[in-house]
Amino acid sequence: MCEHCGCGLPDEAKGGTGNHDHPHDHTHREEVVLYRNLLEANERNARENREHFLEHGILAVNLMSGPGSGKTSLIEALAGRLSMRLRMGVIEGDLATDRDGARIAALGLPVWQVTTGSTCHLDAAMVHEAMHRLPLHDLDLLIVENVGNLVCPGIYDLGCHLNGVLLSVTEGDDKVAKYPVVFRNAQFFCLTKTDLLPHVTFDAERPKREARILKGGLKVFECSSITGEGMDAFVKYMETEREAMVG
Amino acid sequence: MHEWSLACALVRSAEEEARRRGAISVHAVTVSVGFLTGVVPELLRRSYDMAVAGTLLEGAPLLIRMEPVSARCPACKKESTFEGFALLCPACGTSGLEVVAGDEIFLRGLDLEVADENESEAGGDHV
Repeated sequence: MCEHCGCGLPDEAKGGTGNHDHPHDHTHREEVVLYRNLLEANERNARENREHFLEHGILAVNLMSGPGSGKTSLIEALAGRLSMRLRMGVIEGDLATDRDGARIAALGLPVWQVTTGSTCHLDAAMVHEAMHRLPLHDLDLLIVENVGNLVCPGIYDLGCHLNGVLLSVTEGDDKVAKYPVVFRNAQFFCLTKTDLLPHVTFDAERPKREARILKGGLKVFECSSITGEGMDAFVKYMETEREAMVG
Repeated sequence: MHEWSLACALVRSAEEEARRRGAISVHAVTVSVGFLTGVVPELLRRSYDMAVAGTLLEGAPLLIRMEPVSARCPACKKESTFEGFALLCPACGTSGLEVVAGDEIFLRGLDLEVADENESEAGGDHV
């Protein structure tokens, strides 16, 4: 109701015809204070994913890194060493193509390829949809290979139990401090392509030291998916974490 | 560029809240960005400008408040503020500090033009 003339009331109550020419918008200004977390929907989806994985006794692991640091190769190397002990499935995330998915399928593993189009990271809803394309009852370990990007995946919780960051020795030993966001929620860090160390100038201690400053308690591995060097420790870590999860 | 996804979430959330409160237009939107989110303010602003097109928020400026990082040391319990990502306790040098603030992004506030209560109830169709 307008405070000036009472328009909005029945005509008899106003004592007139309802015609009025005073300026009024019948609106007011309102400043609202909110604290609405913009990642809330994703975090809710992530919690549901985590519960879902737990119900199925699946250890879910999110692998993050820049493009070309060896995520798919690490999964292939892991598959060759795990298959008899833990049943593994994979969700592949890429902007385009099913090339990574095809590599995993060639190993005979259950895999679902997510192509995000223009989105630079996976989110919990994408993982939720993908997980239901996999035979969850037949899996013990699910590796989620995130979109190759050392920045954006860092703030999206996928509901995985472990988040890991990979950095290959060809990318340079200065990269950890330059791309700190992905390390914030990581539990492990994998230095990859260590077979190339003799051919590059790379101080292997530097990224490890810097990563531990960004995230205390970070587990660190040094692996070569080609020679298999360091893979045993990584395989053992996956197995130990799975055992700890299912009790 | 996760700023685009965040801008879309921001616009969706702000428009929903504005409509729920009977707003007929929006004067400004305020967002709080924690430093640890890695969000680049300028990229968020540009993404927002694209994301508001055709919504109730179109034309409303985005006010960005960068929030510093605040973290507590698990060893000496001291709480400190940081301007970078290296969270080492300045008192005892311990790493692995528990983040208290600065790792989230919030829709902080809305400045709205709202239809008066009876107006919105009456559908606002009288002159």
